[in-house]
Amino acid sequence: MSKDGSSAYLTTKLDVLINWGRKNSLWPLPFGTSCCGIEMMATLCSDYDMSRFGAEVVRFSPRQSDLLIVAGIINLKMAPILKTVYDQMSDPKYVMSFGACASSGGIFNVYSVLQGIDTLIPVDVYVPGCPPAPEGVLHALMRLQEMIAQGQTQSQKKRIEMKKGIS
Amino acid sequence: MDIRKPISSQGGDSILKFLDLWKKQASVLKQKFGVAIEEIRMPLDDLTDVPIVYVQKDSIISILKFLKEDSEFEYRFLADITATDEESEPRFELVYNLFSHQNRCRIRVKVRVRESDAVATAVSVWEGANWAEREVYDMFGIRFDGHPDLRRILMDHRWVGYPLRKDYPLRGYQMFVDSEPVNLSLLEQDK
Repeated sequence: MSKDGSSAYLTTKLDVLINWGRKNSLWPLPFGTSCCGIEMMATLCSDYDMSRFGAEVVRFSPRQSDLLIVAGIINLKMAPILKTVYDQMSDPKYVMSFGACASSGGIFNVYSVLQGIDTLIPVDVYVPGCPPAPEGVLHALMRLQEMIAQGQTQSQKKRIEMKKGIS
Repeated sequence: MDIRKPISSQGGDSILKFLDLWKKQASVLKQKFGVAIEEIRMPLDDLTDVPIVYVQKDSIISILKFLKEDSEFEYRFLADITATDEESEPRFELVYNLFSHQNRCRIRVKVRVRESDAVATAVSVWEGANWAEREVYDMFGIRFDGHPDLRRILMDHRWVGYPLRKDYPLRGYQMFVDSEPVNLSLLEQDK
């Protein structure tokens, strides 16, 4: 409906409309395990303000969120917990690997550290840096939004594969 | 301030400040415990900043108790328990770092431990030794006799081996995708 009260309409494909809604209302779950978590908080705060991209509703419950931000080192003892949190999130879900430690283990190539969370769960965007700058995080978020609009994220692709399998 | 003049470090300061006290304490220890004291390494004579007292395994608890309670020593604070893997026989050196609030100085007590040995627990002297000993057990596999709850504290309970031993591979990953099974008997204890 237009501002003057006259009716208006828009034609689109349902998928495109839904993905447009999804990309502009990401609800992040902050899985901040170390110093990258501080940088993530800075990105959420007013200076950089992640809410400009529709991603300000931080939820600490995996049931209510669709973007898992893994910010920081994941020890092998933490790995099962990360896996559980990821499994509890409902589809479609997206994963941002935030910083060097989450992406590759960083400088910690030792017995106790997971060498990249992509060995455990599928990752959509990686943010390089130790820790990454807030601009980098916003860039990753915008890249993720593009991917969602195009249906290119891991969980969307998996869903399409599943549909193909059924039909 | 003249920047060319070397500034003595805090360690250097404390050596000069406490050396007389430490020498007195060393002679008292030797007199009282005799052969139970294997060796005492003093600062300035050896490469150390605090005296290192090597003691025999069987008398460790009585010596720790004496260091804590005697009015001339009063090392009442157990700063840390740790260990080193020497890769020789006996394999480990168990380290007790003590601090005296009264005299404001530190002392280090060491025990040489073979791989097959178990050491008496210090929980009877300091309650706080409980978790410190669990960490030593977790990382080095040194067992403590009489410990109330000798389980791993940092690593997963299904972990095989002891990561800080020299023969443990640096990248010896052990991946557990499932969470640790909950030990229900621990919940019962809390009630």
